[in-house]
Amino acid sequence: MNILFLSLVLILAIASLTTQKSVSALIAFGLMMVLLGGYYIYLDEKLLGLFQIFVYAGGISVLMLFGITLIGTDFPPTRERPFAIFLSVAFFGLVTTLFMSHVSQLPHHATTPSNPSLFSDSYGDFVIIFALIGASLLYATIKMAKLLQSQRGQDV
Amino acid sequence: MFEIDMLFAFGLFSIGLYGVTSKKDFLRIFFALEMLLNAVILMLASGAVHLGATQNIPLAYMVIVFATLEAAVGILIFALSNRLTNKVIPDTIGGIQ
Repeated sequence: MNILFLSLVLILAIASLTTQKSVSALIAFGLMMVLLGGYYIYLDEKLLGLFQIFVYAGGISVLMLFGITLIGTDFPPTRERPFAIFLSVAFFGLVTTLFMSHVSQLPHHATTPSNPSLFSDSYGDFVIIFALIGASLLYATIKMAKLLQSQRGQDV
Repeated sequence: MFEIDMLFAFGLFSIGLYGVTSKKDFLRIFFALEMLLNAVILMLASGAVHLGATQNIPLAYMVIVFATLEAAVGILIFALSNRLTNKVIPDTIGGIQ
């Protein structure tokens, strides 16, 4: 079952990158995210799965659709960089080899109990870094929105 | 099961890497970036389920939050650069003043 789910995810991922039509590519991307969310639910991580479906298939896909409507759906065909496929295949081969040679050494803690203060216990030291990254991204979003608005004002 | 999940996550990451490095338009680059982040989320979720590393799940939520903000910034950069240069292929943009 999980192989079927994940194979479909990979097929849709390739389709979203290779389909010429933008809206079709976006639909493939959205379906991929729904399937990934479904897979997390299948893995019994229900909240993560629902979060994935709502945020990715709902929010980000619609955000990209909004971008497409701003720019238009016509994207000129581009020439592929010759090293791109080689790089990705080489990366896959390297990481898979490294993982397979070290997978037996991974610790298993399957009986770890769920902990309500898991985040603060595990990532308490990193909260400031997370907050800084989030705040800088939020600042960049607002700044870009203002720039876009002022640019529109100049055009009008 | 964990090995299968990880192999598929590596596959998804490789597809994303291909999308980022190949000469594509802005939209495909966004898709590829989201695939990279989703491969990481898949690894974290799989580690949490199969290895019992439940501390991965909050990190997966953080990655989703950052991915959302990154997409918002990216779309706005995309729209602004398109408005300034009227181009959708990053390589063809000479420079934004």
